[in-house]
This record gives sequence, C-alpha cells and structure tokens, in this order.
Amino acid sequence: MRNCSLRIFFALLAPVFVWAAPSPRLVLPEFSALAQKATESVTITLDAALLAMAGRFMNGNDPQDAATREILKGLQGIYIRSYTFDKDAAYQQADIDAVRNQLSAPGWNRLVETRSRKSQANVDIYIMVANNQATGLALIASEPRQFTIVNIVGSIDLDKLHKLEGQFGVPKLDIDVKAPAPNNKK
Amino acid sequence: MSEELESRLRAAFRPVAPSDEFTQNLIARVAADQRSPSNARGVRERSPKASAWCLSASMAASLLVAAGIQQHVQERRERERGLEARREVIEALRVTSQKLNLAYEVIKSQSSSPADDEPGV
Repeated sequence: MRNCSLRIFFALLAPVFVWAAPSPRLVLPEFSALAQKATESVTITLDAALLAMAGRFMNGNDPQDAATREILKGLQGIYIRSYTFDKDAAYQQADIDAVRNQLSAPGWNRLVETRSRKSQANVDIYIMVANNQATGLALIASEPRQFTIVNIVGSIDLDKLHKLEGQFGVPKLDIDVKAPAPNNKK
Repeated sequence: MSEELESRLRAAFRPVAPSDEFTQNLIARVAADQRSPSNARGVRERSPKASAWCLSASMAASLLVAAGIQQHVQERRERERGLEARREVIEALRVTSQKLNLAYEVIKSQSSSPADDEPGV
C-alpha cells in the first residue's frame, strides 16, 4: 500500500521534473510588427517530423544532400527568425532581449561572443550541453539593418557542420564543443 | 399478265403446314429452353448469388480506384511538403552558416586589427 502511494506520488511529480528540466528550444516571438517593416524576412519552423521528412527527400548521391542528411540525423528542430531592413535602427534591442533572457537559464553556455565596432555586427553563439553532448544551439546576430535568431534543437555536431564548408559557406570555427566552460558568460 | 403474276405469287406464298420433323424439333427446343436457366430470348438471367457477386466486385473495384486516387493525392501532398521542408532546411543551413561566417570573420579580423573587434570564444 505504501509502495503504491509512493509510486503515485512520483508519477504525479514526474511532469514537474520534466517541466523543470532546461529545454534547448527557445520561445521565439512572432515579431509580426518587425516582419511588416522588414524588406526581407525569413521564418523557418521545422520540427522533428518535418526534419525527418526533409531528410527523406535528400538525394543520397548528392554530396551536399548527403552531408545535410548527416547533420539532420540528430536534430529535433530548427527555428529561425531573420529580418532585414532598409534603414538603420529599425528594430529595438528590446526585441532581441526577450530571446536573450531565455539564454540565461541553466544549461546554456555562451560559446562565442563577437562585437565589431567597424561593422557593428554582434554575434553571440550559445550552446546547451547535457552529458558532454550539445543538445541545443542558439545564435543571435544583430547588425544595424539585420537581426537573426537561430535555434537548433538536438545533438549538434559542429564537425559535421564543418563538412558543409564550401557548400553553404560554413567556416571552420575550431570550437571544442564537448568541453564548454561550465559557467554562464553572460 | 398481271393476273398471271398475281396468281403465281399467291401460289408461292400460300400457307403450308410445317413438316413433322420441323414441329418435333421446335417442341424439343422449347422443352430444352424451359429446362435451361436462360429465357426464351436467349438472354441469360443472373442468379441472385451472381448478382450479389457482381455488385460486390463493382464496389470493391470502385473502392480500390478511390483508395488509389486518395493515395496518389496523399503521396503528392507529402512529396510537396517534403520538398518544401527540404528547401527550408537548406535555407536554414544557409542562414546559419552565413551568421557563423560573420562571427568567424569578426574573430579573424581580430588578429589584423584588435582595436576594432572584441571577440570572446
């Protein structure tokens, strides 16, 4: 009877623990007001089912498709919001802060932070690591006339991304994904 | 002349009683037709079982055709969705790589002019 009560207690608590676990998926706002102002906008929402479907339509004989399919294998979602404007300061920093604040949650580590005074391009790359494996990636790139948010959910192997070098313009970043700093450099 | 022709025609088309052989053959044929399932005009009548089978076969064929069309439409839609998903994946990787490249360029430019950029890896 006591065992049964304990089981019920833990079963009821399980969703709470699941909810409390950090999720590599970010809640991306609609940015509908910005989308109306933007000259070009890219909104991509690909969940696991769509990624699997896309993988089936990759041509195995094509090297680029084969490399893409390799990358897709461990992914559970790709979410992108990118807006380009025809004038400077068309968006507020507060628009991005709603997303940036989510990256202060436990589990996220800032991997790269670049600030360019010359081009005024700022790029932050965050990664979520669990059991020595990247389970999520977030990229926030803000330029005077463009900002982009990329959220990739799933086991990301940057080495596989390196294989795409020269095909999608992916550079070699020489980043050690498996051993990021444990503290949040926010 | 015309009377002679008329009398000849009358003689030719006069009613003649059928021979016994013809009568027997006719009676035998009628009796055989009554025993057989076909009607007197020679059109075969379907038994209820055969009719039911034909109806079932027609319905099954219709269902098969409908299912085939449905599957074809479904496959076509799935293919369109798959190709759209593929296009989005490629676009997503293009955007991602573009931004990674931006970060890389900033990091790379650090070595040439450290005052301009502030990278942190």
